[in-house]
Amino acid sequence: MTGRSFNWTHLVACLLVGVTAVLLSFGALVTTYEAAMAVPDWPGTYGHNLLLYPWADWLQGPWDLFLEHGHRLLGALAGMVTLVLAAVAWRSSARPMVKWLAMAAVALVVVQGALGGARVLLDDKTVAKVHACTGPLFFAVAVAIACLSRRSSEQGTRLSRLPVALVVASYLQLVAGAQLRHLDAAVSPSVFRGLVGLHILGAFAVTVFAVASASSVGIDGSLSSRRWSRGIVALVVLQLLLGLGAWVVSWGMPAGLVPESWLSEPLRARSVWSAMVVTGHVVLGMLILASSVVLAIDAGGWRAVTSASAAGSSSQSRAFA
Amino acid sequence: MRQSSPSHRFVAAIIAIVTVAAVGCGKTPPASFRLNMVQATKATVPESGLEKPWASWSRERQQQVATILEAMFGTPDEPVALPETGLDLAKLQLAAGPVRSDIVGRKNGLYREHCAHCHGISGDGMGPTAAFLNPYPRDYRQGKFKFKSTWRDAKPTHDDLVRLLHEGVIGTSMPSFALLPPAQVDALAEYVKYLSMRGEAEIALFTYAEQELGADEALPTTKEFLVDEVLTPIAEKWQGAADARIPVAAIPAGVDFNLPGNDLANRDSVARGKALFLGDGGCVKCHGVTALGDGQANDYDDWNKAIVAVSAEVAVGLLSSKEAATGGMSSDALADHRARSAWLDSFAHVLEGDALRPRTIPPRNLRIGHYRGGRRPIDLYRRLYTGINGAPMPGVGPSGPGGKGSVADEEIWHLVNYIRSLPYEMDGELGADRPMVAKDRF
Ligand code: HEC
Ligand code: HEC
Repeated sequence: MTGRSFNWTHLVACLLVGVTAVLLSFGALVTTYEAAMAVPDWPGTYGHNLLLYPWADWLQGPWDLFLEHGHRLLGALAGMVTLVLAAVAWRSSARPMVKWLAMAAVALVVVQGALGGARVLLDDKTVAKVHACTGPLFFAVAVAIACLSRRSSEQGTRLSRLPVALVVASYLQLVAGAQLRHLDAAVSPSVFRGLVGLHILGAFAVTVFAVASASSVGIDGSLSSRRWSRGIVALVVLQLLLGLGAWVVSWGMPAGLVPESWLSEPLRARSVWSAMVVTGHVVLGMLILASSVVLAIDAGGWRAVTSASAAGSSSQSRAFA
Repeated sequence: MRQSSPSHRFVAAIIAIVTVAAVGCGKTPPASFRLNMVQATKATVPESGLEKPWASWSRERQQQVATILEAMFGTPDEPVALPETGLDLAKLQLAAGPVRSDIVGRKNGLYREHCAHCHGISGDGMGPTAAFLNPYPRDYRQGKFKFKSTWRDAKPTHDDLVRLLHEGVIGTSMPSFALLPPAQVDALAEYVKYLSMRGEAEIALFTYAEQELGADEALPTTKEFLVDEVLTPIAEKWQGAADARIPVAAIPAGVDFNLPGNDLANRDSVARGKALFLGDGGCVKCHGVTALGDGQANDYDDWNKAIVAVSAEVAVGLLSSKEAATGGMSSDALADHRARSAWLDSFAHVLEGDALRPRTIPPRNLRIGHYRGGRRPIDLYRRLYTGINGAPMPGVGPSGPGGKGSVADEEIWHLVNYIRSLPYEMDGELGADRPMVAKDRF
């Protein structure tokens, strides 16, 4: 690293993280309101070029159109920022890992855009699920780039495997969640029961890894690792509550487990409150994934790997010891 | 960079995840109506003299019913409304199909957006989430509905359905759709009628096959049979719903519903209601003297009762078919025996996969103040007058026009008044065999 010139890579990567967070939140809202087919054509919007669709129609049109078209505009923005990031990173003196990740981000954003298009053109729930799983993957990559492009003199310490396990678990948990959100109504109750079981198992795994990571970095991690890991535990606790909340606003109190009188009003389909709880649950899941990526890098994991690879060392296994 | 560098591997892993995800799961097939397999299997009791093996014969019969239903009602994506049904095709099209917006930004596919994950695409009450819910979502196919303004056996009116969707059913997972535009609720109510008529026609076809057709006979496909004999009687009941409303007696003096149920002004009326509750009304049998719903609690509603009954029948049949000595049977008898075993096996399989585990329906705890059919005095009046169709809860009014109930019409208002006072009633006023404790109210 040259150290002196301005770190554009990091700046653009941070911008990408911000844009993607909003983009994914819109995506989650699109699913909550089942607005994916609010615009039947693609890549255009009702025959207009995506970017030229009249702003007034967009902002004053139906809520579903607002969400779907907004999601597309944000997607286009994220795509452009990713291209800029790749160009900046490639020409910078950033470590190879960052360059390759930036390339991966370009590939992902293209695939993700195409999946979004396929979801609309084929109107297919399976594609919708894949689209929902690729989004957080892209987010994780963007966060990783932002972290790894920081100029920091710290070098990797011994990597505990736990933060990496947490990254994997929280991603798989999002995958399981997407299966519940993009539920095909033709699926049988027993399949659904299996999916719910998987999601509960995933919640358990994420909780265990989050707590274990926190306690492991609590002993010999850096100050920022300790902060991140504790923050993640707090987010996971909140997420468990939101998960229960999402159940209640969707299907009511688990009958027999809690007194009927706890819910003094009938459920209300499409209330802002229920949409916020359910969408919040998805968005928080993505934030947990992103934070655990930061923690995994911060705790030394990928840094150890990249410094090893940059140095041409063949002993990658050492980093995971 | 060398091939084995971690960066390469990382990128390769990402690409692999996306590809596996994309390829691993095939495209979702278009939605289709599921056959009422419990009815279908019930209607294909093997008879002696079957020329084909039972399995292929029963499959052909099911296929025929499916084909007829598709001709009469279309598919989940493309509904058909024969004029005899009186259904409005434009409304059905708004509710049917996949979720999407049309060219003017109006949402289509409302049923799949809002209802199908609980009630199922076919309206069989077996959507994906159903097994978790208690009570189970309504199976529309029997054409039985609980909360309505009509005689117990009659269909709900369109307004009843709209009102139900607007209010939701408190204490259950059935939500209120008050936040949807009225036109959407209207379309959804129409679609409920459509699914219900379709389900009833299906049951009628299978029942006819069971009762009237010999082995290897096919269902008639004439208009006289399908429309005049099967569809019209069902449709007429729906169209006649508005004329089947129960009469509502004038509210007697001394009943003031503008005051809370425990107000002194209502004291005499509440006392009369209480006497009816404990006496002629026969309410204590289920709701208990305490009205906490602690009377008979092991009963099933009609939907679950049907499953319990066939399950028992199949279990007994399986047992005796296992025990049957096949040694000395003639070849004809052996063939019959085999067909019967195949039928019983497949029935057991159907009960596993196409029915939810039966659940009892507890009588309501009347001290909570949750009334699923609505909390206005008129709602309670209707609940008590006709009882709750499909549930064990009997009515105290006459069972049809011109009949006589166990409680006179005006007196029902006193019962309503008493029900309204129950959530306020203090300890010691119970006249119960045990004192009420605070937790009873929850
Ligand atoms: C979260 C699950 C759920 C959703 C979503 C749902 N329902 Fe229900 N619905 C139920 C349950 C549970 C019941 C049974 C209530 C009872 O028996 O007391 C029910 C009952 C009904 C009934 C029967 C009421 C009666 O009088 O017997 C109708 C009609 C109905 N729902 C229509 C709809 C429609 C139309 C939609 C979509 C707009 C819908 N439901 C969405 C769970 C759901
Ligand atoms: C055979 C048993 C039985 C008897 C007798 C009976 N009930 Fe019920 N009652 C039930 C059941 C079961 C339910 C719950 C039905 C459901 O959940 O759909 C119920 C529900 C109710 C409800 C709730 C209605 C709503 O909208 O939620 C009221 C009020 C009620 N009963 C009052 C009475 C009164 C008053 C009497 C006497 C006149 C009576 N019941 C007699 C079984 C009974």
